Amino acid sequence: MSFECHEPSSVTDAVALGARFGEEGRFLAGGTDLIIQMRRGKVGPRHVMSLHRVSGLDRIEADGAVRLGALVTHRTIERCPAFQGPLQALVESAAVVGGHQIRNVATVGGNIVNASPAADVVPVLLALDATVTCLGPDGERTLTLDGFLTGPGQTARRPGELLTSVRFDQLPPGSATAFVKAGRRKAMEISVVCVAVRLTLDAAHARCQEARIALGAVAPTTLRARAAERALEGQPLTDEVLRRAGRLAAGECGPIDDVRASARYRRLLVETLVPRALRRSLERIGRAA
Amino acid sequence: MSRLALSLRINGETHEVLTAPHRTLLDVLRDDLGLTGTKENCLEAECGVCTVLLDGRAVNACILLAAQCRGRDIVTIEGLASGGELHPLQRAFVERGAVQCGYCIPGMILSAKAYLEECPEASEDGIREALAGNLCRCTGYQKITEAVATAARELYGGRTTQ
Ligand SMILES: Cc1cc2nc3c(=O)[nH]c(=O)nc-3n(C[C@H](O)[C@H](O)[C@H](O)COP(=O)(O)OP(=O)(O)OC[C@H]3O[C@@H](n4cnc5c(N)ncnc54)[C@H](O)[C@@H]3O)c2cc1C
Ligand code: FES
Ligand code: FES
Repeated sequence: MSFECHEPSSVTDAVALGARFGEEGRFLAGGTDLIIQMRRGKVGPRHVMSLHRVSGLDRIEADGAVRLGALVTHRTIERCPAFQGPLQALVESAAVVGGHQIRNVATVGGNIVNASPAADVVPVLLALDATVTCLGPDGERTLTLDGFLTGPGQTARRPGELLTSVRFDQLPPGSATAFVKAGRRKAMEISVVCVAVRLTLDAAHARCQEARIALGAVAPTTLRARAAERALEGQPLTDEVLRRAGRLAAGECGPIDDVRASARYRRLLVETLVPRALRRSLERIGRAA
Repeated sequence: MSRLALSLRINGETHEVLTAPHRTLLDVLRDDLGLTGTKENCLEAECGVCTVLLDGRAVNACILLAAQCRGRDIVTIEGLASGGELHPLQRAFVERGAVQCGYCIPGMILSAKAYLEECPEASEDGIREALAGNLCRCTGYQKITEAVATAARELYGGRTTQ
Protein backbone atom coordinates (compact mmCIF):
# COMPACT_ATOMS: atom_id res chain seq x y z
CA MET A 1 0.00 0.00 0.00
CA SER A 2 1.32 3.42 -0.88
CA PHE A 3 -0.82 6.53 -0.92
CA GLU A 4 -1.24 10.04 0.39
CA CYS A 5 -3.54 10.37 3.37
CA HIS A 6 -5.91 13.30 3.73
CA GLU A 7 -7.97 14.14 6.78
CA PRO A 8 -10.68 16.62 5.77
CA SER A 9 -12.41 18.20 8.76
CA SER A 10 -15.74 19.07 7.11
CA VAL A 11 -18.14 17.79 4.46
CA THR A 12 -17.18 20.74 2.25
CA ASP A 13 -13.46 19.88 2.47
CA ALA A 14 -14.16 16.19 1.84
CA VAL A 15 -16.19 17.00 -1.28
CA ALA A 16 -13.47 19.36 -2.53
CA LEU A 17 -10.82 16.64 -2.10
CA GLY A 18 -13.14 14.11 -3.76
CA ALA A 19 -13.50 16.42 -6.76
CA ARG A 20 -9.76 17.04 -6.93
CA PHE A 21 -8.72 13.37 -6.93
CA GLY A 22 -11.69 11.80 -8.77
CA GLU A 23 -10.92 8.18 -9.73
CA GLU A 24 -7.54 8.33 -7.95
CA GLY A 25 -9.08 8.93 -4.55
CA ARG A 26 -11.08 6.85 -2.11
CA PHE A 27 -13.00 7.91 0.95
CA LEU A 28 -12.12 5.91 4.05
CA ALA A 29 -14.84 5.35 6.66
CA GLY A 30 -14.41 2.28 8.92
CA GLY A 31 -11.92 0.74 6.49
CA THR A 32 -13.31 -2.76 7.09
CA ASP A 33 -13.71 -3.26 3.35
CA LEU A 34 -11.32 -0.70 1.89
CA ILE A 35 -8.12 -1.39 3.86
CA ILE A 36 -8.47 -5.12 3.28
CA GLN A 37 -9.07 -4.66 -0.46
CA MET A 38 -6.04 -2.37 -0.64
CA ARG A 39 -3.86 -4.84 1.21
CA ARG A 40 -4.96 -7.60 -1.15
CA GLY A 41 -4.04 -5.34 -4.05
CA LYS A 42 -7.59 -5.23 -5.40
CA VAL A 43 -7.68 -1.45 -5.33
CA GLY A 44 -4.80 0.98 -5.19
CA PRO A 45 -5.94 4.55 -4.66
CA ARG A 46 -3.24 7.24 -4.80
CA HIS A 47 -5.19 9.32 -2.30
CA VAL A 48 -7.08 8.11 0.74
CA MET A 49 -9.46 10.63 2.28
CA SER A 50 -10.26 9.53 5.81
CA LEU A 51 -13.61 10.78 7.05
CA HIS A 52 -12.88 10.37 10.79
CA ARG A 53 -12.69 14.10 11.43
CA VAL A 54 -15.81 15.01 9.44
CA SER A 55 -18.60 15.72 11.90
CA GLY A 56 -22.34 15.68 11.34
CA LEU A 57 -22.49 12.51 9.24
CA ASP A 58 -22.76 10.13 12.20
CA ARG A 59 -26.27 11.02 13.35
CA ILE A 60 -29.61 9.24 13.14
CA GLU A 61 -32.67 11.46 12.78
CA ALA A 62 -35.93 9.63 13.27
CA ASP A 63 -38.64 12.24 13.78
CA GLY A 64 -40.74 12.07 10.62
CA ALA A 65 -38.67 10.44 7.91
CA VAL A 66 -35.61 8.51 9.08
CA ARG A 67 -32.22 9.79 7.99
CA LEU A 68 -29.00 7.92 8.69
CA GLY A 69 -25.77 9.83 8.16
CA ALA A 70 -23.30 7.87 6.01
CA LEU A 71 -20.90 7.50 8.95
CA VAL A 72 -23.43 5.92 11.32
CA THR A 73 -21.84 2.67 12.52
CA HIS A 74 -23.56 -0.70 12.68
CA ARG A 75 -23.13 -0.62 16.45
CA THR A 76 -25.06 2.67 16.61
CA ILE A 77 -27.90 1.21 14.51
CA GLU A 78 -27.95 -1.89 16.70
CA ARG A 79 -28.41 0.20 19.84
CA CYS A 80 -30.75 2.87 18.45
CA PRO A 81 -34.02 2.95 20.48
CA ALA A 82 -35.95 4.29 17.45
CA PHE A 83 -35.38 0.97 15.68
CA GLN A 84 -36.85 -1.29 18.34
CA GLY A 85 -40.39 -1.31 16.83
CA PRO A 86 -41.45 -1.84 13.20
CA LEU A 87 -37.94 -1.06 11.96
CA GLN A 88 -36.45 -3.96 13.94
CA ALA A 89 -34.93 -5.56 10.83
CA LEU A 90 -32.36 -2.76 10.79
CA VAL A 91 -31.18 -3.85 14.23
CA GLU A 92 -31.29 -7.52 13.22
CA SER A 93 -29.08 -6.90 10.18
CA ALA A 94 -26.61 -4.48 11.79
CA ALA A 95 -26.16 -6.85 14.75
CA VAL A 96 -24.79 -9.65 12.57
CA VAL A 97 -22.15 -7.66 10.72
CA GLY A 98 -18.80 -9.11 11.86
CA GLY A 99 -17.96 -8.89 15.56
CA HIS A 100 -17.96 -5.91 17.93
CA GLN A 101 -14.62 -4.65 16.60
CA ILE A 102 -16.06 -4.46 13.09
CA ARG A 103 -19.40 -2.96 14.10
CA ASN A 104 -17.72 -0.29 16.23
CA VAL A 105 -16.13 1.24 13.13
CA ALA A 106 -17.92 -0.09 10.02
CA THR A 107 -20.50 2.30 8.62
CA VAL A 108 -23.78 2.11 6.78
CA GLY A 109 -22.31 4.32 4.03
CA GLY A 110 -19.44 1.86 3.54
CA ASN A 111 -21.86 -1.07 3.43
CA ILE A 112 -23.78 0.68 0.62
CA VAL A 113 -20.88 2.06 -1.46
CA ASN A 114 -18.90 -1.18 -1.21
CA ALA A 115 -21.90 -2.71 -3.01
CA SER A 116 -21.24 -6.31 -2.08
CA PRO A 117 -24.25 -8.45 -3.08
CA ALA A 118 -23.85 -10.11 0.35
CA ALA A 119 -24.07 -6.87 2.38
CA ASP A 120 -26.44 -7.37 5.31
CA VAL A 121 -27.88 -3.91 6.01
CA VAL A 122 -28.47 -3.09 2.35
CA PRO A 123 -31.41 -5.51 1.82
CA VAL A 124 -33.23 -4.01 4.80
CA LEU A 125 -32.76 -0.52 3.40
CA LEU A 126 -33.97 -1.75 0.02
CA ALA A 127 -37.09 -3.23 1.65
CA LEU A 128 -37.70 0.22 3.18
CA ASP A 129 -37.56 1.91 -0.26
CA ALA A 130 -34.55 3.95 0.90
CA THR A 131 -32.96 6.72 -1.11
CA VAL A 132 -29.33 7.81 -0.93
CA THR A 133 -27.95 11.32 -1.18
CA CYS A 134 -24.59 12.03 -2.80
CA LEU A 135 -22.72 15.31 -2.76
CA GLY A 136 -20.23 16.27 -5.46
CA PRO A 137 -18.82 19.40 -7.06
CA ASP A 138 -22.04 19.78 -9.08
CA GLY A 139 -24.19 19.68 -5.96
CA GLU A 140 -26.46 17.16 -4.34
CA ARG A 141 -28.25 14.23 -6.00
CA THR A 142 -30.78 11.87 -4.49
CA LEU A 143 -31.19 8.41 -6.03
CA THR A 144 -33.20 5.37 -5.09
CA LEU A 145 -30.97 2.78 -3.41
CA ASP A 146 -32.22 0.27 -5.95
CA GLY A 147 -31.00 2.49 -8.79
CA PHE A 148 -27.74 3.27 -6.96
CA LEU A 149 -26.61 -0.37 -6.82
CA THR A 150 -25.59 -1.29 -10.35
CA GLY A 151 -23.39 -4.38 -10.01
CA PRO A 152 -21.03 -6.26 -7.69
CA GLY A 153 -18.84 -3.52 -6.23
CA GLN A 154 -20.44 -1.01 -8.57
CA THR A 155 -22.73 1.93 -7.93
CA ALA A 156 -24.08 4.99 -9.71
CA ARG A 157 -21.81 7.16 -7.55
CA ARG A 158 -19.79 9.53 -9.73
CA PRO A 159 -16.01 9.67 -9.16
CA GLY A 160 -15.29 11.80 -6.11
CA GLU A 161 -18.90 12.00 -4.92
CA LEU A 162 -19.44 11.67 -1.17
CA LEU A 163 -22.40 9.64 0.06
CA THR A 164 -23.85 11.79 2.81
CA SER A 165 -27.00 10.01 3.96
CA VAL A 166 -29.60 7.35 3.43
CA ARG A 167 -33.24 8.10 4.07
CA PHE A 168 -36.62 6.35 4.20
CA ASP A 169 -40.16 7.04 5.42
CA GLN A 170 -41.50 5.81 8.74
CA LEU A 171 -43.81 2.84 8.25
CA PRO A 172 -47.59 3.22 8.42
CA PRO A 173 -49.55 1.46 11.21
CA GLY A 174 -49.96 -2.28 10.63
CA SER A 175 -46.38 -2.69 9.37
CA ALA A 176 -43.36 -4.71 10.41
CA THR A 177 -39.99 -5.79 9.09
CA ALA A 178 -37.78 -8.84 9.56
CA PHE A 179 -34.28 -9.87 8.56
CA VAL A 180 -33.01 -13.45 8.36
CA LYS A 181 -29.47 -14.50 7.54
CA ALA A 182 -28.04 -17.90 6.74
CA GLY A 183 -24.31 -18.48 7.15
CA ARG A 184 -22.08 -21.42 7.91
CA ARG A 185 -21.50 -20.31 11.48
CA LYS A 186 -23.33 -18.04 13.88
CA ALA A 187 -21.01 -15.03 14.01
CA MET A 188 -18.31 -13.36 11.92
CA GLU A 189 -19.82 -14.78 8.78
CA ILE A 190 -20.57 -13.38 5.34
CA SER A 191 -24.13 -14.27 4.35
CA VAL A 192 -24.74 -17.35 2.23
CA VAL A 193 -28.20 -15.86 1.77
CA CYS A 194 -29.94 -13.03 3.58
CA VAL A 195 -33.55 -11.94 3.31
CA ALA A 196 -35.21 -8.70 4.42
CA VAL A 197 -38.96 -8.20 4.28
CA ARG A 198 -41.44 -5.46 5.05
CA LEU A 199 -45.17 -6.00 5.29
CA THR A 200 -48.00 -3.51 5.66
CA LEU A 201 -51.49 -4.90 6.26
CA ASP A 202 -54.81 -3.18 5.45
CA ALA A 203 -56.82 -1.49 8.22
CA ALA A 204 -58.74 -4.68 9.03
CA HIS A 205 -55.45 -6.66 9.11
CA ALA A 206 -57.16 -9.03 6.67
CA ARG A 207 -55.01 -8.59 3.61
CA CYS A 208 -51.54 -7.48 2.63
CA GLN A 209 -51.51 -3.91 1.42
CA GLU A 210 -47.84 -3.59 0.58
CA ALA A 211 -44.93 -6.04 0.59
CA ARG A 212 -41.21 -5.69 0.00
CA ILE A 213 -38.78 -8.58 -0.25
CA ALA A 214 -35.05 -8.02 -0.73
CA LEU A 215 -32.51 -10.81 -1.17
CA GLY A 216 -28.76 -10.76 -0.52
CA ALA A 217 -25.99 -12.98 -1.95
CA VAL A 218 -28.14 -14.47 -4.71
CA ALA A 219 -27.56 -12.06 -7.61
CA PRO A 220 -24.94 -9.53 -8.82
CA THR A 221 -26.62 -6.89 -6.62
CA THR A 222 -28.96 -7.01 -3.66
CA LEU A 223 -32.21 -7.89 -5.37
CA ARG A 224 -35.89 -7.00 -4.96
CA ALA A 225 -38.07 -10.10 -5.50
CA ARG A 226 -40.83 -8.24 -7.32
CA ALA A 227 -42.91 -11.18 -8.53
CA ALA A 228 -43.01 -12.52 -4.96
CA GLU A 229 -44.05 -9.09 -3.67
CA ARG A 230 -46.89 -8.91 -6.22
CA ALA A 231 -48.08 -12.36 -5.20
CA LEU A 232 -48.60 -11.07 -1.65
CA GLU A 233 -50.20 -7.68 -2.27
CA GLY A 234 -53.99 -7.69 -2.03
CA GLN A 235 -54.01 -11.24 -0.65
CA PRO A 236 -54.92 -12.67 2.75
CA LEU A 237 -51.56 -13.93 4.03
CA THR A 238 -52.26 -17.61 4.47
CA ASP A 239 -49.35 -19.96 4.85
CA GLU A 240 -49.89 -21.19 1.29
CA VAL A 241 -49.61 -17.60 0.00
CA LEU A 242 -46.37 -17.09 1.94
CA ARG A 243 -44.90 -20.36 0.65
CA ARG A 244 -45.81 -19.40 -2.90
CA ALA A 245 -43.96 -16.10 -2.45
CA GLY A 246 -40.93 -18.15 -1.36
CA ARG A 247 -41.10 -20.28 -4.52
CA LEU A 248 -41.45 -17.20 -6.72
CA ALA A 249 -38.50 -15.47 -5.02
CA ALA A 250 -36.36 -18.60 -5.52
CA GLY A 251 -37.24 -18.44 -9.20
CA GLU A 252 -36.45 -14.74 -9.52
CA CYS A 253 -32.95 -14.79 -8.07
CA GLY A 254 -29.79 -15.78 -9.91
CA PRO A 255 -27.35 -17.28 -7.42
CA ILE A 256 -23.94 -18.68 -8.30
CA ASP A 257 -21.82 -21.53 -6.94
CA ASP A 258 -18.94 -20.25 -4.81
CA VAL A 259 -16.77 -21.24 -1.86
CA ARG A 260 -19.62 -20.63 0.58
CA ALA A 261 -22.45 -22.56 -1.06
CA SER A 262 -23.87 -23.93 -4.29
CA ALA A 263 -26.44 -22.06 -6.35
CA ARG A 264 -28.93 -24.86 -5.76
CA TYR A 265 -28.57 -24.64 -1.99
CA ARG A 266 -28.96 -20.86 -2.12
CA ARG A 267 -32.25 -21.20 -4.02
CA LEU A 268 -33.51 -23.70 -1.46
CA LEU A 269 -32.59 -21.25 1.29
CA VAL A 270 -34.48 -18.42 -0.43
CA GLU A 271 -37.54 -20.62 -0.79
CA THR A 272 -37.47 -21.36 2.95
CA LEU A 273 -36.24 -18.07 4.40
CA VAL A 274 -38.66 -15.79 2.54
CA PRO A 275 -41.78 -17.34 4.11
CA ARG A 276 -39.95 -17.51 7.47
CA ALA A 277 -39.21 -13.78 7.39
CA LEU A 278 -42.77 -13.04 6.27
CA ARG A 279 -44.21 -15.12 9.10
CA ARG A 280 -41.98 -13.29 11.57
CA SER A 281 -43.24 -9.92 10.28
CA LEU A 282 -46.85 -11.08 10.56
CA GLU A 283 -46.28 -12.17 14.15
CA ARG A 284 -44.74 -8.80 14.92
CA ILE A 285 -47.71 -6.93 13.47
CA GLY A 286 -50.01 -9.19 15.48
CA ARG A 287 -48.12 -8.51 18.69
CA ALA A 288 -48.08 -4.74 18.15
CA ALA A 289 -51.84 -4.61 17.46
CA MET B 1 7.37 9.15 0.20
CA SER B 2 5.54 11.53 2.46
CA ARG B 3 5.66 11.18 6.22
CA LEU B 4 3.07 12.09 8.79
CA ALA B 5 3.95 13.51 12.17
CA LEU B 6 1.44 12.08 14.61
CA SER B 7 0.87 12.66 18.24
CA LEU B 8 -0.72 9.51 19.67
CA ARG B 9 -2.13 9.12 23.18
CA ILE B 10 -1.50 5.55 24.25
CA ASN B 11 -2.19 4.27 27.77
CA GLY B 12 -2.35 7.85 28.98
CA GLU B 13 1.04 8.85 27.55
CA THR B 14 1.62 10.96 24.47
CA HIS B 15 3.97 9.56 21.82
CA GLU B 16 5.27 11.57 18.87
CA VAL B 17 5.78 9.38 15.82
CA LEU B 18 6.81 10.04 12.25
CA THR B 19 5.33 7.45 9.93
CA ALA B 20 4.30 6.68 6.35
CA PRO B 21 0.57 7.18 5.60
CA HIS B 22 -0.12 3.51 4.91
CA ARG B 23 1.11 2.29 8.29
CA THR B 24 -1.47 0.94 10.68
CA LEU B 25 -1.79 1.53 14.38
CA LEU B 26 -0.63 -2.07 14.79
CA ASP B 27 2.59 -1.36 12.85
CA VAL B 28 3.31 1.70 14.97
CA LEU B 29 2.53 -0.02 18.27
CA ARG B 30 4.67 -3.06 17.60
CA ASP B 31 7.49 -1.81 15.40
CA ASP B 32 7.96 1.82 16.45
CA LEU B 33 6.93 1.80 20.09
CA GLY B 34 7.83 -1.76 21.08
CA LEU B 35 4.36 -2.37 22.50
CA THR B 36 4.25 -5.99 21.40
CA GLY B 37 1.42 -7.02 23.74
CA THR B 38 -0.89 -6.23 20.83
CA LYS B 39 -0.50 -9.26 18.56
CA GLU B 40 -0.40 -9.62 14.79
CA ASN B 41 -1.87 -12.45 12.79
CA CYS B 42 -4.47 -12.36 9.99
CA LEU B 43 -4.22 -8.63 9.17
CA GLU B 44 -7.81 -8.84 7.87
CA ALA B 45 -9.91 -8.06 10.96
CA GLU B 46 -10.92 -11.71 11.29
CA CYS B 47 -9.07 -13.01 14.35
CA GLY B 48 -9.03 -10.19 16.91
CA VAL B 49 -5.48 -10.67 18.27
CA CYS B 50 -4.75 -7.01 17.41
CA THR B 51 -7.70 -5.63 19.40
CA VAL B 52 -7.09 -2.33 21.20
CA LEU B 53 -9.47 0.22 22.67
CA LEU B 54 -10.02 3.41 20.67
CA ASP B 55 -11.93 5.98 22.71
CA GLY B 56 -13.08 3.06 24.86
CA ARG B 57 -14.37 0.85 22.05
CA ALA B 58 -12.77 -2.36 20.83
CA VAL B 59 -11.27 -2.06 17.34
CA ASN B 60 -8.89 -4.06 15.14
CA ALA B 61 -5.56 -2.20 15.04
CA CYS B 62 -4.54 -4.13 11.90
CA ILE B 63 -6.99 -2.24 9.67
CA LEU B 64 -6.82 1.13 11.39
CA LEU B 65 -4.40 3.63 9.89
CA ALA B 66 -2.25 5.31 12.50
CA ALA B 67 -3.38 8.60 10.97
CA GLN B 68 -6.98 7.83 11.98
CA CYS B 69 -5.92 7.78 15.65
CA ARG B 70 -4.65 11.33 15.90
CA GLY B 71 -6.01 12.98 19.02
CA ARG B 72 -7.87 9.88 20.19
CA ASP B 73 -7.40 7.77 23.26
CA ILE B 74 -5.78 4.37 22.73
CA VAL B 75 -5.52 1.63 25.36
CA THR B 76 -3.44 -1.51 24.79
CA ILE B 77 -2.95 -4.50 27.07
CA GLU B 78 0.15 -2.80 28.53
CA GLY B 79 -2.14 -0.10 29.90
CA LEU B 80 -4.34 -2.31 32.05
CA ALA B 81 -2.29 -3.17 35.09
CA SER B 82 -1.70 -0.26 37.43
CA GLY B 83 0.89 0.16 40.17
CA GLY B 84 2.09 -3.42 39.68
CA GLU B 85 -1.46 -4.75 40.23
CA LEU B 86 -3.14 -6.72 37.48
CA HIS B 87 -6.53 -5.50 36.26
CA PRO B 88 -9.38 -7.68 37.64
CA LEU B 89 -9.93 -9.11 34.15
CA GLN B 90 -6.28 -10.13 33.89
CA ARG B 91 -6.38 -11.66 37.35
CA ALA B 92 -9.56 -13.58 36.56
CA PHE B 93 -8.00 -15.00 33.38
CA VAL B 94 -5.00 -16.23 35.37
CA GLU B 95 -7.00 -17.59 38.29
CA ARG B 96 -9.60 -19.33 36.13
CA GLY B 97 -6.96 -20.99 33.96
CA ALA B 98 -8.31 -19.23 30.86
CA VAL B 99 -4.89 -18.87 29.25
CA GLN B 100 -3.08 -21.56 27.28
CA CYS B 101 -0.61 -20.35 24.63
CA GLY B 102 -1.73 -16.81 25.38
CA TYR B 103 -1.64 -15.36 21.88
CA CYS B 104 -5.32 -14.42 21.78
CA ILE B 105 -5.52 -13.21 25.37
CA PRO B 106 -4.62 -9.50 25.08
CA GLY B 107 -7.35 -9.09 22.47
CA MET B 108 -9.82 -11.15 24.50
CA ILE B 109 -9.24 -9.05 27.60
CA LEU B 110 -9.63 -5.75 25.78
CA SER B 111 -12.82 -6.87 24.01
CA ALA B 112 -14.15 -8.03 27.36
CA LYS B 113 -13.23 -4.74 29.02
CA ALA B 114 -15.10 -2.70 26.39
CA TYR B 115 -18.11 -5.00 26.67
CA LEU B 116 -18.29 -4.87 30.48
CA GLU B 117 -18.05 -1.10 30.50
CA GLU B 118 -20.96 -0.91 28.08
CA CYS B 119 -22.92 -3.71 29.67
CA PRO B 120 -22.05 -4.34 33.36
CA GLU B 121 -24.90 -6.85 33.70
CA ALA B 122 -23.05 -9.31 31.51
CA SER B 123 -24.76 -12.57 30.59
CA GLU B 124 -22.97 -15.64 29.30
CA ASP B 125 -24.56 -15.16 25.86
CA GLY B 126 -23.59 -11.50 25.89
CA ILE B 127 -19.98 -12.36 26.74
CA ARG B 128 -19.79 -14.93 23.96
CA GLU B 129 -21.30 -12.48 21.51
CA ALA B 130 -18.89 -9.72 22.55
CA LEU B 131 -15.93 -12.07 22.02
CA ALA B 132 -17.12 -13.39 18.62
CA GLY B 133 -14.44 -11.34 16.88
CA ASN B 134 -11.66 -12.92 18.97
CA LEU B 135 -10.57 -16.40 17.95
CA CYS B 136 -8.81 -18.79 20.29
CA ARG B 137 -7.13 -21.94 18.96
CA CYS B 138 -6.44 -23.43 22.38
CA THR B 139 -8.99 -23.07 25.11
CA GLY B 140 -12.42 -23.87 23.68
CA TYR B 141 -13.69 -20.54 25.11
CA GLN B 142 -15.41 -22.00 28.18
CA LYS B 143 -12.84 -20.82 30.72
CA ILE B 144 -12.48 -17.50 28.95
CA THR B 145 -16.21 -16.91 29.29
CA GLU B 146 -16.07 -17.90 32.96
CA ALA B 147 -13.13 -15.58 33.59
CA VAL B 148 -15.01 -12.63 32.09
CA ALA B 149 -18.09 -13.44 34.19
CA THR B 150 -15.90 -13.66 37.31
CA ALA B 151 -14.32 -10.29 36.58
CA ALA B 152 -17.74 -8.79 35.90
CA ARG B 153 -18.91 -9.86 39.36
CA GLU B 154 -15.82 -8.43 40.96
CA LEU B 155 -16.00 -5.16 39.03
CA TYR B 156 -19.73 -4.55 39.02
CA GLY B 157 -21.23 -6.59 41.83
CA GLY B 158 -23.11 -9.84 42.00
CA ARG B 159 -25.62 -9.57 39.23
CA THR B 160 -23.85 -11.53 36.53
CA THR B 161 -25.51 -14.76 35.50
CA GLN B 162 -23.29 -17.65 34.56
C1 LIG C 1 -14.15 -9.61 9.53
C2 LIG C 1 -15.20 -8.92 8.72
C3 LIG C 1 -16.51 -9.34 8.79
C4 LIG C 1 -17.50 -8.70 8.05
N1 LIG C 1 -18.77 -9.15 8.15
C5 LIG C 1 -19.74 -8.55 7.43
C6 LIG C 1 -21.09 -9.00 7.53
O1 LIG C 1 -21.39 -9.94 8.27
N2 LIG C 1 -22.04 -8.37 6.81
C7 LIG C 1 -21.74 -7.31 6.01
O2 LIG C 1 -22.65 -6.74 5.39
N3 LIG C 1 -20.47 -6.86 5.88
C8 LIG C 1 -19.47 -7.46 6.57
N4 LIG C 1 -18.18 -7.02 6.43
C9 LIG C 1 -17.90 -5.95 5.47
C10 LIG C 1 -17.86 -4.52 6.03
O3 LIG C 1 -17.62 -4.52 7.42
C11 LIG C 1 -19.15 -3.73 5.76
O4 LIG C 1 -19.44 -3.71 4.39
C12 LIG C 1 -19.03 -2.29 6.30
O5 LIG C 1 -20.32 -1.73 6.40
C13 LIG C 1 -18.16 -1.37 5.46
O6 LIG C 1 -18.14 -0.10 6.07
P1 LIG C 1 -16.79 0.74 6.30
O7 LIG C 1 -17.20 1.99 6.97
O8 LIG C 1 -15.79 -0.09 6.97
O9 LIG C 1 -16.37 1.00 4.81
P2 LIG C 1 -14.92 1.33 4.19
O10 LIG C 1 -14.13 0.10 4.11
O11 LIG C 1 -14.34 2.52 4.85
O12 LIG C 1 -15.40 1.75 2.72
C14 LIG C 1 -15.99 0.81 1.82
C15 LIG C 1 -16.12 1.47 0.45
O13 LIG C 1 -17.06 2.54 0.50
C16 LIG C 1 -16.44 3.79 0.17
N5 LIG C 1 -17.03 4.76 1.07
C17 LIG C 1 -17.19 4.63 2.42
N6 LIG C 1 -17.89 5.67 2.91
C18 LIG C 1 -18.17 6.49 1.86
C19 LIG C 1 -18.91 7.72 1.72
N7 LIG C 1 -19.48 8.31 2.78
N8 LIG C 1 -19.01 8.26 0.49
C20 LIG C 1 -18.44 7.65 -0.59
N9 LIG C 1 -17.75 6.50 -0.52
C21 LIG C 1 -17.63 5.91 0.69
C22 LIG C 1 -14.96 3.56 0.33
O14 LIG C 1 -14.21 4.41 -0.52
C23 LIG C 1 -14.82 2.10 -0.06
O15 LIG C 1 -14.78 1.96 -1.45
C24 LIG C 1 -17.16 -7.62 7.19
C25 LIG C 1 -15.84 -7.19 7.11
C26 LIG C 1 -14.85 -7.82 7.86
C27 LIG C 1 -13.45 -7.36 7.77
S1 FES D 1 -4.49 -9.35 13.08
FE1 FES D 1 -6.06 -7.92 13.27
S2 FES D 1 -7.80 -9.15 13.40
FE2 FES D 1 -6.28 -10.62 12.96
S1 FES E 1 -4.87 -19.33 24.40
FE1 FES E 1 -3.88 -19.99 22.57
S2 FES E 1 -5.05 -18.94 21.05
FE2 FES E 1 -6.17 -18.57 22.82
